[in-house]
Amino acid sequence: MCLTEKKRENQLLILYASQTGNAMDAAERFGREAERRGCPSISVLSMDEFDPSELPNKEAVILVVSTTGQGDNPDSMKGFWRFLLQKNLTEDWLKGVNYAVFGLGDSSYQKYNFVAKKLDKRFSSLGATPIIERGLGDDQHPSGYEGALDPWMSSLWSILYQRNPRLLPNAITPDDTLMDQPKVQVIYHDTEEGLSPMTTSTDFNYLEMQLEKAHSMNPAKYSGKNRPDCFLKLTKNNLLSQVESGKDVRHFEFEAVSCVSEAIDYDVGDILEVLPGQSPEALDAFMQRCNLNPESYITVQARDNENRGFQKPSSPVKLKSFIELTMDVASASPRRYFFEVMSFFATAEHEKERLQYFASPEGRDDLYQYNQKERRTVLEVLEDFPSVQMPFEWLVQLVPPLKTRAFSISSSNSAHPNQVHLTISLVSWTTPYKRKRTGLCSSWLAGLDPNQRVLIPAWISKGCLPPPPPSLPLILVGPGTGCAPFHGFVEERAIQSKSVTTAPVVFFFGCRNEEDDFLYRDFWLSHLQKDGVLSEEKGGGFYVAFSREQPHKVYVQHKMREQSSKIWSLLSQGAAVYVAGSANKMPADVLSALEEIVSNETGVPKEAASTWIRTLERAGKYHVEAWS
Amino acid sequence: MGQDKLLVITDQVAVSISAVSDAIKKLRKEDVVEVDPLIITQATSDSLTSLEFSSIDDVVSLFKTLEFPSDQLLGNISRVLKPGGAVLFHFDSQTIGEQMKNPSLEHELILAGFLDIHRESFGMKCKKPSWKIGSSFALKKTSQVLPKVQMNDDDDLIDEDSLLTEEDLKKPQLPSGDCEVGITKKACKNCSCGRAGDEEKVKLGLTMDQINNPQSACGSCGLGDAFRCSTCPYKGLPKFKLGEKIALSGNFLASDI
Repeated sequence: MCLTEKKRENQLLILYASQTGNAMDAAERFGREAERRGCPSISVLSMDEFDPSELPNKEAVILVVSTTGQGDNPDSMKGFWRFLLQKNLTEDWLKGVNYAVFGLGDSSYQKYNFVAKKLDKRFSSLGATPIIERGLGDDQHPSGYEGALDPWMSSLWSILYQRNPRLLPNAITPDDTLMDQPKVQVIYHDTEEGLSPMTTSTDFNYLEMQLEKAHSMNPAKYSGKNRPDCFLKLTKNNLLSQVESGKDVRHFEFEAVSCVSEAIDYDVGDILEVLPGQSPEALDAFMQRCNLNPESYITVQARDNENRGFQKPSSPVKLKSFIELTMDVASASPRRYFFEVMSFFATAEHEKERLQYFASPEGRDDLYQYNQKERRTVLEVLEDFPSVQMPFEWLVQLVPPLKTRAFSISSSNSAHPNQVHLTISLVSWTTPYKRKRTGLCSSWLAGLDPNQRVLIPAWISKGCLPPPPPSLPLILVGPGTGCAPFHGFVEERAIQSKSVTTAPVVFFFGCRNEEDDFLYRDFWLSHLQKDGVLSEEKGGGFYVAFSREQPHKVYVQHKMREQSSKIWSLLSQGAAVYVAGSANKMPADVLSALEEIVSNETGVPKEAASTWIRTLERAGKYHVEAWS
Repeated sequence: MGQDKLLVITDQVAVSISAVSDAIKKLRKEDVVEVDPLIITQATSDSLTSLEFSSIDDVVSLFKTLEFPSDQLLGNISRVLKPGGAVLFHFDSQTIGEQMKNPSLEHELILAGFLDIHRESFGMKCKKPSWKIGSSFALKKTSQVLPKVQMNDDDDLIDEDSLLTEEDLKKPQLPSGDCEVGITKKACKNCSCGRAGDEEKVKLGLTMDQINNPQSACGSCGLGDAFRCSTCPYKGLPKFKLGEKIALSGNFLASDI
């Protein structure tokens, strides 16, 4: 520990690791509540914005972490966590640091809140002093994580106040009437300065500029995502499932129009993130409702630069573009704080009361029914409270950011140069109030026509499925749209097999029945043919579980058990296992089947088999990409 | 150590003490004084049915007949014997010559499940296998050592799983029992039990009259979902003015499937 640096006193650090924005919201709420209690200095930062070696200098740290995937850390936590796990950190490294951990999780998962639990333990084993027992938010609670957060936070403030009254001078009487200030300021301009009215740049140049400007104006929400890796043009939109099946699964093909590098570059197993478009009707309705002039030009800046670092001023962007590209008006639901701020701008008394009620602890359950459960959109909420006129600054801050949607790439770049393919199932459901809703991105893509010349901003990133070298034997399990990355794997290996000897590939697929949703049937069968990647001759295999073709359910794990000796044979040759798909239970069922297989084939007890598979995971031979 | 249970069976009406102690010495190589054997005379295949399985430590068989004990009796002997227990077949001195000529003695004992089969000067000796009935072992191959897995060197990091306690690892308690669709338990994101579907089927229960001429005692129904109670029949419908026909979207006019 550095002795020369004195701890900065009366400073509260709030670190969060958020995957879908919940932990970030919770962290920002902590920040606001601390502010209302008069905390002299507050810092709210994502873990990937903070250098963990600074931790020993902090007086008080609150950590808000989400659990994602199968009990994993959010991406933004990976570096921070790796640092903390170092063996050479001593058990008094965090001596004198007061801390509290709040986790966001879901108790229907086996690995409930593992991220928070491990973090809490690690901090205390490094000598930090817990302020309060860790708090565990649970999605299964009627009001979600806030059910646990509210009482936990109350206790936190009172204990902190007892330990150091100067940290939260107003803790006893927090200033609830204080109307917070918006964190951004918006400046209106007459024209788009620096650009002639008749723009000569091509479509995507203009789009690119708008996007870059818009994102750079609010870096907090778009860290790392300023410039798209490429812009895509849709070339194919083919329905893969049968119309009668009630499912809508499509194969999309895109051509890269412009890339940061020469041509689009990705590996099989990679992820494509796409920024969805928003419906023109919804955008118009929103702008009308909020009395906004779509044609005006704006720049947006942080009101205070202390936490976000110096922002270089950007040239103005069209208001309509700014909203279209960065503010989700017709899909994501606003948070509780949105309702709280709305209440200040409601002129009708009954609306004001109702909004205050929704923002209060008593109204939390009803808010959940009305808002989160129904997936109420910003536009719908604003229309339900017509007397509210929220200044644009607040809207910029509080309307949920338009998020990219990630999909496993289903093509091999080698097989399709300058193209990228996706396999997407249309998301649709009926709300408790019987309203029919569809997913923003999947329905937008499904409705796109290749002739429309729409340009789609996209980013390539690594997922959980590293591309396998040709010499690695593979056991692939991918029911439903989980087959997408493996479609790419097979294409890639087929190409590789032309120049080098490739190791066997065994693929387990699952769907409802052969008629309705046997995705890419002809493709798989073609590779089953003589000398194909999946063929017997090559030591491969292709097995399909049709879940609804018989009275009892048959899933991929049942097919796996049928191929017990083949699977064991591949595993003992050093095969890697890849699992992908859209179910919560499936990865656990597959793991269970594998444990049984290892146990049965070798005679070792199940516990030993289970441990062995865990070492596979740690050695990088067992990968799961599961989405919900 | 408790008294060993020794069983002596014979087809004779009675056996001499000396014959018994003689046989026991051969079996146990110890004095017979300590042992209090259970003796069954005029034994037939069924004689052992009253005995509990795995209740006898050792068995001595003193049969006078030329015939080797039947399969059934052998099976019963095996049943009552504890695993690891020994059996001594003491043949009658007059018939031993003939009996030992039988080449199938070992065979029959093997079929009955005995091991460690030896021909002795007095007859046969064998043992019941020492693992319990029901334990299995891989018949196809010898127990394999699980292949060593190449590990990346992350040796400078602690094992994060060690940070979890027993308590942490236990499967969390889900809100108990109540599967009624209500506010408390929610359907999982990937509901497979059908609860998610049930939650969607919240009944509208509106009559045509209510649609054409909506009334509201509380006055809030027409203001929209934001102001409606959880039991409001107009839930999910757009805003309306009292008495004016509600403009329904296509969703609600379509019938339930």
